[in-house]
Amino acid sequence: MKALYSLFAVCSLMFAACSDNKPVELYNTKAALPSSPKYNLDGLKVITSFVNKTKGTASTLYGNDLALKSAIDGNKTVGANEVFTLVTWKQQDDDHWFGAKIPSNVESVEVIKTTSSGNSVAVNYQQLNGKSLDLKADTSGQSERIKYILGQKPSVLP
Amino acid sequence: MAMKTNRKPMYQRKAFLIILILFAGFLCIQFVRPDVPNPPVTGDLEAPADVKAIIQRACYDCHSNNTNLRWYDKIVPIYWGVASHIKQGRADLNFSEWNKLAPADQKGKLWESVNQIIAGAMPLPGYTAVHTGAKVSAADLAVLKNYLASMVHSKPADTAVINAADRQYQYWQKNKTAVSKLPTAANGISYIPDYKNWQPISTTERFDNNTLRVIFGNDIAVKAIKENKIHPWPNGAIFAKVAWAQLQDKDGTTHTGEFKQVEYMIKDDKKYASTYGWGWARFKTPKMVPYGGSNVMFTTECMNCHKPMAAEDFVFTQPIKH
Repeated sequence: MKALYSLFAVCSLMFAACSDNKPVELYNTKAALPSSPKYNLDGLKVITSFVNKTKGTASTLYGNDLALKSAIDGNKTVGANEVFTLVTWKQQDDDHWFGAKIPSNVESVEVIKTTSSGNSVAVNYQQLNGKSLDLKADTSGQSERIKYILGQKPSVLP
Repeated sequence: MAMKTNRKPMYQRKAFLIILILFAGFLCIQFVRPDVPNPPVTGDLEAPADVKAIIQRACYDCHSNNTNLRWYDKIVPIYWGVASHIKQGRADLNFSEWNKLAPADQKGKLWESVNQIIAGAMPLPGYTAVHTGAKVSAADLAVLKNYLASMVHSKPADTAVINAADRQYQYWQKNKTAVSKLPTAANGISYIPDYKNWQPISTTERFDNNTLRVIFGNDIAVKAIKENKIHPWPNGAIFAKVAWAQLQDKDGTTHTGEFKQVEYMIKDDKKYASTYGWGWARFKTPKMVPYGGSNVMFTTECMNCHKPMAAEDFVFTQPIKH
């Protein structure tokens, strides 16, 4: 009889497991960037991705085709019409996997655009901060950031 | 006269007969017993005593060669289910043959197991309903998680790792990694070179196995994300998840090092109906060696790991929608 009760318990529990409706969080809404004319990721490709474990940040460097090509060549020379965009997020624990961290709130979006001006190439840098993508007015340190971003080695994507 | 009054109505006699036949049948099937042997232990899991005690109590009945069957497990037809669970359980993960796994795979199996417990997929709810002692409490789970966390070490990459990554990079940079013929996995899925032109839908830092990952989605997947139509994902949606070894520099930044693999999930609820509606494949190294070789059963591994995500259409990644 106990066996019969056990079987009944097993069946009812299996049934309960099937109808168990845990809340499903389909999107990572925290990490979403607000739509803004200040940046545009459409058509950009992944150049590389990296994390900073001390700061707890995750970054992805995007680029248009010209930027990707230059990056693979080591950015020895900077050509015109290249677009690099570095997005940096705070990290959060991945609810779906103990042992993983995924992007959380956006920290900054840095956009580099190169344009030809006469015989040389002008490099424009903009840093947008926080969820509201506020343009950083302070221009000091820009050349270091440009150097840092252009110095990123692309990820091997065979 | 007396006989007539003692006589039970016809329907009662019939019911008695049916019960008798069922009982006889029940007794007969007791002799149809699949064998559940306990093969020798070749190399048992080694872990701190408190950790091991939890794993033994919660997992060993099905995931070791030290199965302890209770009397009520041995009653057919329950026993048939028990026997098949043990067979399957040992094939997927066997702590008694732990030495047969490479150290990296042992680590991977432990993290996967704890994640299955967190997701409520393991131990099987039907099993813990009867074997209440096998339940993993919140305190038990904390012990397991702490043990895993203690195995994580983060340090700057050594020269050998840096050199290996550099060699691979130079090879790729000179476009030498391009494959002429597309490698194909045992389930017929071929490597899709175009994944790198797709949009990234998320990234992951995996501190459990020291990799960095980027998850790409094809146009159909990206469109579905934009239109909030990912539950379920539409047919034709494809993900490519790329994994690299972590390469930590002295400033604390961790870059993508050696390319490890690219994994695909291809949605087609008809073509791949038998594998949760998804086609699964993994290609390792820049040579794109199909995982599983010629054995199509590799998909069982994919499915087992993704099973707890059934409510999310078997997808772990929460896409970032801009």
